[in-house]
Amino acid sequence: MTTTIDATLARRVNRGSGENAYKCYQCKKCSTGCPVAGFGDLHPAQIMRAVQLGAVEAAVDSRFIWLCTGCETCTTRCPQGIDIAAIMDELRMIAREEHRVRSDAPFANILKLNYDSFRRWGRLYEVELLALDKATRLSSLTDDVVMGIRMFLKGKINPLPTFGDRAQMKRMTDVADRINRDKRAVSRAMDLPDTASLPPASPGGVR
Amino acid sequence: MSRVAYYPGCSLHGTARELESSFVGTAVKLGVDLVEIPGWECCGNTAAHATNRLLATALPANEMAKVKDDMGLERVAVPCAACFARFMATNHEVEDADTAHDVAQVVGRPYAGGVGVLNLVDFYHDEVGLEALEAKAVRPFAGLKVAAYYGCLLTRPPKITLAEDPEYPTHMDEVLETLGCEPVEWTFKTDCCGASLALCEQAVVVELVRKIIVNARACGAQAIACACPLCQVNLDSRQGDIKKTDPSWIDVPIVYLSQFVGRAIGVGAADLGLKKHMVAAEALLA
Ligand code: SF4
Ligand code: SF4
Repeated sequence: MTTTIDATLARRVNRGSGENAYKCYQCKKCSTGCPVAGFGDLHPAQIMRAVQLGAVEAAVDSRFIWLCTGCETCTTRCPQGIDIAAIMDELRMIAREEHRVRSDAPFANILKLNYDSFRRWGRLYEVELLALDKATRLSSLTDDVVMGIRMFLKGKINPLPTFGDRAQMKRMTDVADRINRDKRAVSRAMDLPDTASLPPASPGGVR
Repeated sequence: MSRVAYYPGCSLHGTARELESSFVGTAVKLGVDLVEIPGWECCGNTAAHATNRLLATALPANEMAKVKDDMGLERVAVPCAACFARFMATNHEVEDADTAHDVAQVVGRPYAGGVGVLNLVDFYHDEVGLEALEAKAVRPFAGLKVAAYYGCLLTRPPKITLAEDPEYPTHMDEVLETLGCEPVEWTFKTDCCGASLALCEQAVVVELVRKIIVNARACGAQAIACACPLCQVNLDSRQGDIKKTDPSWIDVPIVYLSQFVGRAIGVGAADLGLKKHMVAAEALLA
């Protein structure tokens, strides 16, 4: 894998999330408390280091950012007061903006369908979300089918949507999307590109 | 009789309808007048704050502006822990003038904070109060051992939730004790159940759920009390998956705090909604 160093990454993360990744001194407390630290490629402290270094592939392309549950344990415990969960959110936004969401990140699809669903109905329509996920992500087709049927029979699942104030929801999402898009465009334009690509390390070249 | 605005949130009209019916049932019996916010919308959940921070702050602001300006109320009950966390985050974010300005543009009117937000635990612990609750508990439990499970968003991060003791909270334990239950001391009170990863990273969620329930049982709990629709669904439904690889697994019922309260103050079985659960809980709460 080539390594790209983008010296603007931490600044972009900072403008989006308000968080300063350079305050991280690698105590790794975020990783020891993270429920999913052992399930991904990297753990939270490594993501923080990657952001500091501007190692785009490691940070933005990691599978870990799509495993983060947003449990806020890291944010609560970080001795430097960094909102690490907000940095994970920001990396997910960058990944989507730059069309570099990896293929084994099913949570990205869930988040998108969820957003579309509450935008459409004013409220999240759980059954529609699950159906559309199955329709757009083949690997999910057989997941939890038996359990879903059992839950339905027990009356746990409501097959029908309920509606919020849909006109107001549409207005709010339109305005928020516009303001957000404009601000992020300005933010992107503030940095001159400052990127270098390092060749892959040669095998056996380390002494 | 106190009057409080009520924001159900999407889950309470979906997979957590028994949380809604048991919560409303207890409020009626406890003499709290819940007024549902007219035309309430989704709080935005993880999808909003992982996509567009401004929208994530604005959606709860829209609801709280209705509470304050249209309904003339000071507090809103938000029984879903995930919605609660978003409402609290909004109250924190609008303290920043620039954010408040953008939020007003999105919502169409200003909201500068000031509406109190009650989660399920706060509702019984603070709005009703332990003394009043004890007085109404006509059918108290006889020392049922329960693990109070808070999960993530009732207490974290404390600068948002203003939780007194975010790592080892006790308010839910106190409510359970008031009802005659015996809360157990245990390790995974505030650990994460995997939340909405359940929709796509099933293996991860099954492992997180397994660890939580094993510890509760090892510490003597006969049931786990929760206050979040995602926690309830994950802990309740994933025990079926655990059993596929561990036939000796012993099920532990996962029960909303409002169902415990309802059982103790005499809310009817239909409103308690225990039939909806995957792991049978009716015998334990009969
Ligand atoms: S807890 Fe904070 S300071 Fe420590 S490694 Fe994690 S981000 Fe860095
Ligand atoms: S918020 Fe994400 S990164 Fe932080 S501890 Fe929770 S799962 Fe791990």
